Amino acid sequence: MKLGLVIDMDTCVGCHACGVACKQWNTSGTLGPLTDYQPYGAEPNGVAFNRIRSYEVGVYPNSKTVNMPMSCMHCDTAECVTVCPTGASYKREEDGIVLVDQDKCMGCNLCAWACPYGARELDEDSGTMKKCTLCVDRIYDENLPPEERQPACVLTCPTGARHFGDLEDPDSNVSRLVRDRNGQQSLPELGYNPVNHYLPPRPKPHAEVESGARSAALAERMKGWFGKAVGR
Amino acid sequence: MSKNFLQTLFSTESVSEAPPHDMQSAGKTVPSFEDHARQEKRYTTCYMCACRCGIEVTVEDNQVRFIRGNRNHPVNKGVLCAKGNAGIMKQISPAKLRNPLMRKPGTERGAGEFVEISWDEALEMLTTRLRDIRATDPKKLAFFTGRDQMQALTGLWAQQFGTINWAAHGGFCSVNMAAAGLYSIGQSFWEFGDPDWDRAKYFMLWGVAEDHASNPIKIGIEKLKRRGGKFVAVNPVRTGYQAVADEWVPIRPGTDAMLALAMCHVLLSRDLVDWEYLGRYTNAPFLVVDTPGQAGDGLIARDEDGNPLVWDTVEESFVNGMTPGVEAGMFGDYTLPDGRKARTVMTLIAEKYLDPQYAPEKAAEICGLQAETIERLALEMAHVAFRETIEIACEWTDWAGRKHDRFIGRPVAMHAMRGISAHSNGFQTCRALHLLQVFLGTIDVPGGHRAKAPFPRHTPPPVKPARDTAPNTPLSAPPLGFPTSPEDLVVDGEGRPLRIDKAYSWEAPLANHGLMHMVITNAVNGDPYPIDTLILFMANMAWNSSMNTNSVQDMLRAKDDNGDYKLPFLVVVDAFHSETVNFADLVLPDTTYLERHDAISMLDRPISEPDSPCDSVRVPVLKPDRNVRPWQEVLVDLAGRLGFPAFVDEGGEPKYTGYTDFITRWEKAPGIGFLAGWRGTDGSKHMRGEPNPKQWEKYIENQGFYQYHLPEHMRFYRFANRDYLEWAKEVGFNPSSEPIVMELYSEVLQKFRLAGQGLYDGPLPPETVDRERLVQYFDPLPQYYVPLEEQRIDRKQYPFHAVNQRPMHMYHSWDSQNTWLRQITAQNFLFMNRARGQSMGIEDESWVWVSSHNGRVRVQVKLMEGCQEDTVWTWNAIGKQSGAWGLSEDAPESQRGFLMNHLISELLPSAHDERRLTNSDPVTGQAAWYDLCVSIEPVGADEEAGTSLPKFVAIKPLPGMPAPPLQLRYHTHEPVPLRRSFLDILKRR
Amino acid sequence: MHPALSVIFFTVVSGAGFGLVALTAALDVLGGVPGLGAQGTLVAVFIGASLAALGLMASTLHLANPKNAWRAFFRFRTSWLSREAVFAVLFYPTVLGYLLGLWFAGSAAQSPWTAVFAVLSMLLALIIVFVTSMIYASLRTIPQWNSPLVPANYLLLSLASGAVLLSCISALAGAPVQTVGTLALLLIFLAGVSKAVYFFWIGKPQGPTINTAVGMTRGQVRLLEAGQSSDSFLDREFGYQAPASKLRRRRLAVYVLAFIMPFVLIVGLLRTDSVVLAPFAVALLLAGLFIERWLFFAEARHTVNLFYGRQQC
Ligand SMILES: Nc1nc2c(c(=O)[nH]1)N[C@H]1C(S)=C(S)[C@@H](COP(=O)(O)OP(=O)(O)OC[C@H]3O[C@@H](n4cnc5c(=O)[nH]c(N)nc54)[C@H](O)[C@@H]3O)O[C@H]1N2
Ligand SMILES: Nc1nc2c(c(=O)[nH]1)N[C@H]1C(S)=C(S)[C@@H](COP(=O)(O)OP(=O)(O)OC[C@H]3O[C@@H](n4cnc5c(=O)[nH]c(N)nc54)[C@H](O)[C@@H]3O)O[C@H]1N2
Ligand code: SF4
Ligand code: SF4
Ligand code: SF4
Ligand code: SF4
Ligand code: SF4
Ligand SMILES: [Mo]
Repeated sequence: MKLGLVIDMDTCVGCHACGVACKQWNTSGTLGPLTDYQPYGAEPNGVAFNRIRSYEVGVYPNSKTVNMPMSCMHCDTAECVTVCPTGASYKREEDGIVLVDQDKCMGCNLCAWACPYGARELDEDSGTMKKCTLCVDRIYDENLPPEERQPACVLTCPTGARHFGDLEDPDSNVSRLVRDRNGQQSLPELGYNPVNHYLPPRPKPHAEVESGARSAALAERMKGWFGKAVGR
Repeated sequence: MSKNFLQTLFSTESVSEAPPHDMQSAGKTVPSFEDHARQEKRYTTCYMCACRCGIEVTVEDNQVRFIRGNRNHPVNKGVLCAKGNAGIMKQISPAKLRNPLMRKPGTERGAGEFVEISWDEALEMLTTRLRDIRATDPKKLAFFTGRDQMQALTGLWAQQFGTINWAAHGGFCSVNMAAAGLYSIGQSFWEFGDPDWDRAKYFMLWGVAEDHASNPIKIGIEKLKRRGGKFVAVNPVRTGYQAVADEWVPIRPGTDAMLALAMCHVLLSRDLVDWEYLGRYTNAPFLVVDTPGQAGDGLIARDEDGNPLVWDTVEESFVNGMTPGVEAGMFGDYTLPDGRKARTVMTLIAEKYLDPQYAPEKAAEICGLQAETIERLALEMAHVAFRETIEIACEWTDWAGRKHDRFIGRPVAMHAMRGISAHSNGFQTCRALHLLQVFLGTIDVPGGHRAKAPFPRHTPPPVKPARDTAPNTPLSAPPLGFPTSPEDLVVDGEGRPLRIDKAYSWEAPLANHGLMHMVITNAVNGDPYPIDTLILFMANMAWNSSMNTNSVQDMLRAKDDNGDYKLPFLVVVDAFHSETVNFADLVLPDTTYLERHDAISMLDRPISEPDSPCDSVRVPVLKPDRNVRPWQEVLVDLAGRLGFPAFVDEGGEPKYTGYTDFITRWEKAPGIGFLAGWRGTDGSKHMRGEPNPKQWEKYIENQGFYQYHLPEHMRFYRFANRDYLEWAKEVGFNPSSEPIVMELYSEVLQKFRLAGQGLYDGPLPPETVDRERLVQYFDPLPQYYVPLEEQRIDRKQYPFHAVNQRPMHMYHSWDSQNTWLRQITAQNFLFMNRARGQSMGIEDESWVWVSSHNGRVRVQVKLMEGCQEDTVWTWNAIGKQSGAWGLSEDAPESQRGFLMNHLISELLPSAHDERRLTNSDPVTGQAAWYDLCVSIEPVGADEEAGTSLPKFVAIKPLPGMPAPPLQLRYHTHEPVPLRRSFLDILKRR
Repeated sequence: MHPALSVIFFTVVSGAGFGLVALTAALDVLGGVPGLGAQGTLVAVFIGASLAALGLMASTLHLANPKNAWRAFFRFRTSWLSREAVFAVLFYPTVLGYLLGLWFAGSAAQSPWTAVFAVLSMLLALIIVFVTSMIYASLRTIPQWNSPLVPANYLLLSLASGAVLLSCISALAGAPVQTVGTLALLLIFLAGVSKAVYFFWIGKPQGPTINTAVGMTRGQVRLLEAGQSSDSFLDREFGYQAPASKLRRRRLAVYVLAFIMPFVLIVGLLRTDSVVLAPFAVALLLAGLFIERWLFFAEARHTVNLFYGRQQC
């Protein structure tokens, strides 16, 4: 299996729900807590596994705004794992999820350096590296009803822009989406071969115009409408 | 339940995918992470905003482990927004109030010196004061509420107290939408109707950044786009929803009426209107008296029984327009039996909107758009409406008893909100949108704009606002209602306002929701009269919900010559340490939404869906760790102490043991109470039935909500759908089952206009300025006019429109205490068009002065592409007063953030020899936040900026408030690690 | 990239140390460091090894969770950092053997054992410098590092600094400095050139762009909102930005301090035999290398920056 996410940039409105849901679930999750620094102070910030950024493409008035949530892409070629000296970082053989064993990490940051996507953040309190777990602590939990065994960010997304599944299985919903909507990877040229894909904005739907009668001014129209009646 | 559950499965794609098959085996390789035995799931209703989504709260040792959207819930169908997901951080906010507080005797109001007192002391103090007011002049109590959703209760309380000075936030929020809708089509935008997300093929969104239907709109937009429908966004700014729009129409603020009416022009000029619909369901064929300069001019011609007249083209005679089947003439000038001239509404409409004044070319100039675009958009909608019509085979009966075998649907949907309403021309603009919708035949039809119960209601609902007050006597009517003629105004014999907010006065005749934004100003100026006590519930009036924040704070401190406060007593009912709490004489600390009972009632603004009337409840999922009480409980308690008739028995003893008991047993009319589900002594009745002592349990069993599924034949055309209308009467939505006629032409407005012209035989406005306003702005047909502030300032001096947007992840002022949310936005910038900014020598992230006729602020700029050139904007309510909300004094919110409110005046720029007028819509009194016009100049080269201005003194922390932590590591249990074996480390390549 | 002092110190000082050991051992094997003899050589190697140790110790300072540092030996198969750790551990017994050899059996010329340890020490020293450089050079996320020029720079700079150190030691020991001095001049020259090539190479941006990062290849892409209002770990670690003017000045400083001055001083040393010049050469060189290493980080642009609005890395 290659479990991962497919994110739809055609419907993502940049609402940050997935980011906060991630924070909420994971702060009490297997990699938790996700430390918050200066929570009520001058520079509020904290460990996050999923950050949402907005971009503008082109110039006014033809500019398009796109929103791009980013979490770990669970890359096929996960250099973050290759460079890890302690073996704390690893990619699960079963499902391709990339994880960090908190008991083994020495906090050298090298994996974060090796990650092109900024998916890894050091918890400055525990001194260990943390990152998206693909909600490994939800997706396999048999005490949850099947439809809830999905990442917190996916379950919460109000625009249905996040899809979870096995991108190795050609028949999975996610693989189909990637095919049908020509899903793309971020920074493909780096060769990390991220499992997560992004669905680009759909082409503008074609809208036909109804021309109706020839455009006419008041007098002429009134002539046409003379005696018009409708049954109440 | 399971049916409903299946629906939700199909409704949102993302949550509908079952786990991949070979996950079972992989699952074996992980430990069990959550100790479900130690956890409990409880269902309630979110209150991180007014959308009221259903939530499942997982609790672990009285701590919240996780808040998830309830997938069975009609509103959010399982999803949650960022705010809803951040409930944990609101619950542990350091700004939570802990005890009732009294302003420390001898200290000044606003100095922030408080002493903690007991609830008994607090309630005793308040009861004594209120008892005196009630026994002398109940008007001297003003009770206004902000973001609450319990207006049925607070309104009833005020009515029982006997004060007309009650209203909720609607007046500064979006009354324009409600009023325009209810006076025109019997339903409205805002929370009262929805686009038909499942069927619409074309969706036009006007001036919406987020809105109350926060999650539903997002769910809906995704559905629409998945179906390949087209989404057009009319908005000066391109973020959020507009980001995913297929077409962005960057309109100049305040000009939407022109755009909508130009589209109407296009449709008329090409004969592309739904004649059937217009003729049958609206007042288009009604005859309008045409006697310019005479009394009665412009009123609907009526027979002696008051029925509207139409011209019967078959019988060639004038007949009651409500005669089933009459072939009513749509056009023409006629002479009535009494000799007066009359013309059909449709004739007036055609003449008005076919005039070149409304041509796309004209609109293009005004709106800053291309004429071609305007024309194309109109014709695209016409195509979808008339060529992509949908039909739902279903037998239904119309108001006249005629059977139809299908519902015709015109799948063009629209939604509009504060981009329209927050302008002083918003009422007429919103009416223009409704006119466009009606031309396309899209109101309450499949694919169009659909009402949500208790709507549709009659145009307008037959409820008149209370006028008279008397000591120790409840009002004879609710404080708020729908005037239909000058007689209904709440003014005295001389035409002076009777309400403290001057609602229903000549200055704002159709102020259906009051003018909360004027209360403090008027009370402090003693205009129309001074009051004694102001109770503010869930409103931050000393900050983001007031215009002119600076001066409002001064007013709250203002004293008369005897050194007494001009506003003698201010009670603030809040849950957190807001800027307003700092000005209170008495602070009553409320619970959080996870700690209390609440009823989101059909009598109020329920959570209904178009197909299903719904209501819901909140139930406590956590025990409060502070000395706080739910305001609901306190209101019921006070009502008992003050002996309100509806709350005490014959012996004068309190009738209800508390809020939940009140909700179960109180009846508005026989069988109708706050909650519609599981009524009847055994819970077998729905919508109407005797009180059920076990009703709360039933709601809890059903995960906190009740949903009544309308039979299919009652789901559309409800304004004329007999079965629906009769049912709606039966369950108490409407007093009569008469059909609801859509009023394209508003006779109500014409009556007021006549009064302005001095041609009305009834009350007349004493002052010229009011007469002029009535004549100019009470056009019975939708009109465009330049917003009032813009009319009175020099546009060259203030060339920019300044508006703001709701950040999707923050709710007004109350989320800066929430660290997960403030980590996203703790400072707001002034956004402006890049090219425009650069042409003015303004660099990205540089500091500028923004000036309005009312004041100036220093702020930091961000340049962007997706912003109309004459528009600047910022995120709403991010700026904070230093020291409030449990934040450190150097928090970005107070150091670099800002509010537009400092620039906005609650009064229009003065014109000489004229009293100061409210900066509001002249029809409804809706606060005109977005009329603001400003100038922008870079800060001086020598000026060292870096912080925003104006600065406010830092608010002192409250007694007993713990110092906020410097670091948070929230978790409800120790993490269960997933270990990698040493062997694997050694052998993996 | 954020220039972390511990790492700068580590790479410069240990680099010099390993360079000194490698060079001394090499000369020793090739017939001895002129005029130093076994004791002198021993002193030189000892100083080199200590410097290396000092550096390695400093490197552990930037670990956020040092208690797990011992685990760094186990991913030798894939991790250059792990390899560095392993070789570092191998280096010490070896160099100890070499020192004992010099002490008891005399220089490499005199004892085959010493010779064997000398060769091994030399190889390990060079390998470690190479491995260290590969930690950086292997990162595709940082175009400015992802190049063979980086190992080349690291090796040459380490040898150059070793040579200058050795010249200084020889001079202070009153030994003839012609050979080592000339060698130093040569290495300084080569290092200077290869660094020049490096600076030239990173001059023209070549890395990935914001367009491929965001997946929008048509039209200019600009960041609208970063979705955070204060710096996060990502900004602190990768967001480092220095004004171009500052960078230019520092590059100049590198050339003056690390290359030109030491070169001139060594030439002076060779011409005038005034020993005092040698320590100055060392001091200036090391100072220059600190700046060089600071630049190595400050000028490195991680791809994360693309997501925060940088147009290209
Ligand atoms: N997350 C979140 N949700 C909220 C709230 C919140 O604070 N946070 N507040 C709730 C409340 S109280 C309300 S009233 C609703 C309001 O919900 P919205 O109606 O979305 O209110 P605003 O955010 O003010 O958005 C106004 C939009 O209109 C645009 N606009 C401004 N002037 C014009 C104009 O003249 N014409 C057009 N076409 N557009 C214009 C602005 O750019 C902006 O996008 O949201 C509710 N929902
Ligand atoms: N410039 C500008 N100003 C605006 C707007 C704008 O678009 N631009 N929008 C206007 C609109 S539409 C609105 S609706 C208003 C909204 O403005 P307000 O009605 O003032 O809403 P909030 O700012 O959310 O403040 C609500 C208060 O309720 C308190 N509160 C939160 N939860 C609870 C609770 O559970 N119990 C109690 N008792 N109190 C609680 C909070 O602490 C806060 O003090 O702002 C208006 N002001
Ligand atoms: S929740 Fe969905 S819509 Fe919101 S930001 Fe995340 S992906 Fe985008
Ligand atoms: S995204 Fe980064 S952290 Fe995640 S697998 Fe890829 S490289 Fe590793
Ligand atoms: S920080 Fe931890 S996980 Fe990352 S490379 Fe270093 S040891 Fe491995
Ligand atoms: S999958 Fe889980 S951990 Fe990863 S981003 Fe989504 S919520 Fe966060
Ligand atoms: S929209 Fe968000 S905050 Fe509002 S009720 Fe729903 S989940 Fe809660
Ligand atoms: Mo509002």
